[in-house]
Amino acid sequence: MAYTQRETPVLAELCTFLVEDIYGELAARVYSILARYGRQTLAAVARASYLSGRQIKYGLVILLQQHLVFHSGNDAPTTYYEIDWQNSYAIVRFGKVTKLVEDRFGRKAANVMTNLLALGHTRIADLKEAYFPTATESDDDSDDGTANGTGSKRKRANGAQVNGAATRKNGVPAELSDAKPDSAVVANGDGMTNGDHKPSKANGVTHNAAPDHAVQEQGADEITSVDELYDLIELLIKRGWVRTVNETQYMSPGDMHDMFQQEAIEQDNNGATPTGTKDRDLVHRGIIDRKRAMRDEWLKVPRFARTGRPNSSNKRVKMNGANGWAASSAPSSDDDLVIRVNPEKIAVAMRTEQLVHLVEQRLGYLTARIYQTMLRMLESNIPRCWDEWPEPSLPGGEPGAENGIDPHFLVTARDVATKLSREMDIFEGLDPNAVVQITRKGHVHRTNILSQPIDPSRLSLDEKTMVVDKHIQLLSEDPLHFVTWHSRAGFSQWHIEFEEIAKQMIQTEVENTISSRKGSLGVKLIRTLRKKGKLDERAACNTMMMSANDIRGIVNDLTIQGFVQTQEIPKVDRREAKHSLHLVWYDRQRAREKLLHDTYKGMVRILQRIAYERGKVQPTLEKAERSDVVGKEEQYLSKGEVDTLKKWKEVQEKLLLQLFREDDLVATLRDFHGPLISV
Amino acid sequence: MASAVAPPPVLKQEEAAVEPSANDAISPADALYDKCAERPQGHTFFQRDLSNMQVAETMAELTMILQELCDRHLLKLMTFEGDPCWKLRSRADAEKLRRLTPDERLLYHHIDQVQAEGIWSKALRARTNVTQQTLTKCLKSLESKDLVQSVMSVKFPNRKMYLLKHLKPSEDIAGGPWQSEGDFDVALINTISGIIAQHVENETCIRVPGNWNDYELAVMHKKEEVRDIEEAPAVKPYRPSRDPNTSRLLHKHNPQYPTAASVADWLNSKEILKGKFVREDDMEQLLEMMVLDDRLEKISGTNYRTVLRAADTKAYNGFVDAPCGNCPVFDLCGNEGEISARTCVYFGQWLETTSEEV
Ligand code: SF4
Repeated sequence: MAYTQRETPVLAELCTFLVEDIYGELAARVYSILARYGRQTLAAVARASYLSGRQIKYGLVILLQQHLVFHSGNDAPTTYYEIDWQNSYAIVRFGKVTKLVEDRFGRKAANVMTNLLALGHTRIADLKEAYFPTATESDDDSDDGTANGTGSKRKRANGAQVNGAATRKNGVPAELSDAKPDSAVVANGDGMTNGDHKPSKANGVTHNAAPDHAVQEQGADEITSVDELYDLIELLIKRGWVRTVNETQYMSPGDMHDMFQQEAIEQDNNGATPTGTKDRDLVHRGIIDRKRAMRDEWLKVPRFARTGRPNSSNKRVKMNGANGWAASSAPSSDDDLVIRVNPEKIAVAMRTEQLVHLVEQRLGYLTARIYQTMLRMLESNIPRCWDEWPEPSLPGGEPGAENGIDPHFLVTARDVATKLSREMDIFEGLDPNAVVQITRKGHVHRTNILSQPIDPSRLSLDEKTMVVDKHIQLLSEDPLHFVTWHSRAGFSQWHIEFEEIAKQMIQTEVENTISSRKGSLGVKLIRTLRKKGKLDERAACNTMMMSANDIRGIVNDLTIQGFVQTQEIPKVDRREAKHSLHLVWYDRQRAREKLLHDTYKGMVRILQRIAYERGKVQPTLEKAERSDVVGKEEQYLSKGEVDTLKKWKEVQEKLLLQLFREDDLVATLRDFHGPLISV
Repeated sequence: MASAVAPPPVLKQEEAAVEPSANDAISPADALYDKCAERPQGHTFFQRDLSNMQVAETMAELTMILQELCDRHLLKLMTFEGDPCWKLRSRADAEKLRRLTPDERLLYHHIDQVQAEGIWSKALRARTNVTQQTLTKCLKSLESKDLVQSVMSVKFPNRKMYLLKHLKPSEDIAGGPWQSEGDFDVALINTISGIIAQHVENETCIRVPGNWNDYELAVMHKKEEVRDIEEAPAVKPYRPSRDPNTSRLLHKHNPQYPTAASVADWLNSKEILKGKFVREDDMEQLLEMMVLDDRLEKISGTNYRTVLRAADTKAYNGFVDAPCGNCPVFDLCGNEGEISARTCVYFGQWLETTSEEV
């Protein structure tokens, strides 16, 4: 089974919670059946639930629209449904995605992204419709002041409705098609009745989360023309944040594998089931090649037709630098194109943020900004954190890309110097002696003070480049090797070995966890075992330079917590423990999975606590949300009620913030690196 | 190599040479021994080296000579990666060995095999199958003849370990400079690692005061570009502190990175460890331990530097900073029931809210 499709009961629980929170009870009930029973047909789902066939279909349509469920396609005699765990989990990231996009492309792009998240996969025409409704608006009830509550919920519902046609065309199996016309009813209706609080959860903490901006938002951030909207969509697709949707994205990894295997056998192996090693290798290669081709297809940038502004694409080409996308505006009917958020890119951006944070802790604010600049420059060329289907190494043993790195993955000190804002004090965090060496003005006093202070904003570009290079050197010298030297182009040219860094990030999180629970001694033990492999007590003592009595306790504790493994190797026939060799070791993949699993569970507990806390204040919340109370709170709510609400807001915020931080941990543990080979 | 058949007379002559009676003509065996003795002490000889000495005329003869020298305990036969090789013994030692009883010789052989690691008397008995009495008697005799020594193991304080007299007991049984009476000397290790941490910090870090580059102040003194200072600070998104009383520890630019060898030299020259000499290996052990302790970090190969943290945050990660991450009943906690998120006291404390009573 594909790595990303491995699930645990805890993850199932977590995802069911998330689905219920955002998509309502009906969707969640269908979802939970699939979560519990695995791959099912429509009929089997019906047997396992007390829902009517119609309800189940509505539920499934919502889930399919949001890509929370795979289906096996229309060709097979029976259609199977199966949960997409990766996408289901991604619900928790909605708020983060908006923030990430805003930081990079501004608020307007963030707004587009937010709507895409809320709508699921969307026909461009429908998105356009949402921004620039054609004349008669029947569903304009979302404009009112219901900040982030019901309003946005309805918005989502509208989306589903508007998308009707596109959805049917795109992947909803025929057997569900009759559920379509009423989907709006479902969405507005029973599915959503519970809890107006729900969307606010996605909003809650983060800066400006999902459905917060109503589509017709007014003000400076408003998207004013269709072309502008197209430009934004195009930009997001080109940078890999949004991808086009086609049938293959509905297939579960298992089905997809079967299909490509079939194809590879037929086309590459003359239809014969492969027997020999060579044939099997050939077919394997054929499968992987096809998967890669398919995946690359999703990220292809379609050509957009314009209504006006013939020069728009030229401008963009300039903006993107040498991104090789020609300024061709050959008209095509892109309105029918269906797009959605590309979850792999989100992980890449989250990695960037976490790396910057890590550097800030280790090397300081400014070096972190330099690293951020480097990472963001590379980001648009990095479609994903790790490749599930890497090119198999050639049988000849020739390593794939031995000579050199794709220039897209290189960045120079000069690039960074040019990009960096002039307002930054780029000397910060550097040894004054390094500064003087570059500026050649004055000298450094014995007190480490410059004899001639220098305004960093007045450096020439060359000097600035050299200063930047000094920061980059700090990055490269760090034991984590945040960057790796490549050549002297642009003063100094660098690439980033994400693989190695990601491994180290996982290790750091394991160590952080142990550090918080067991202090530095636990960390010391883990590091010892990581460095030395399997050790008996004596060797461990020697490396840690401690007596056996001092480490026995921590070995025990960490064994119980599942971070350390022990093994007894008998040396005598009678297997007396006294005579056996007792080995201790640390398996980072196991530790990683254990921590990931526990983190999922921690997230479930937080969601449960939120539900509980909310339950306690439910009556007050309901009162505060009554239409006659909204806006006149002071008049209708007692002091006690106001305080209760305030406290609830704080509690919710604290819990959500923690939830999102746990999600950061999940990203580090799960998304930045493929499975690690166990020791 | 000569292929002639070994002439029998030579053999005869050699046998004669074995006799202690002084012969004018030096025997081939002694000739070979003398030649070997010219090499530095403890040299290991391979067959190639010995035949190159051209004492024996044929391989067969060489074999005979070597056999003889081994019998006389002047050579010790060993193997290295499956090839035989030899080491020289002093004539005095050989003499002593010749006079041993068979039991003593057997014990000596086993003690010789373990080299610097030493062997516990009980293990020795198990391997040789001699009676306890014989063992005691023979070991005493070997010790009195200055052939073996006994050392108390630091690892197992009640075990007497035997090893050859001229060897230095390995760290496993005698302990290095960081051990005393068989255990790591925690107080000593703490003191010394503190001193070394400071030393490494001096070598690899620089303390920079907040006002190291106070260009705004300098500008102000000139009274010329007053306009600039009004603009500049306003737009700066982040301004490091200019306060001369604050300071930051930074990585030094192009430092001489300390290595195990350089730190060992430094420590020995300071004579902080009275009477103890710290070898490079000992220092490496200590420095590596300090890396595990997160006090030092290793930079490429053999260089060490101080671990710096720019930000002093107490945050670990999202999971352990929440109550569940450190919860003692995490594994018992369920979706419902007595231990659950609803009834959780830890969440209650953390959020300052009430939980459901059970
Ligand atoms: S909810 Fe409370 S009891 Fe349960 S694991 Fe979390 S902290 Fe522990």
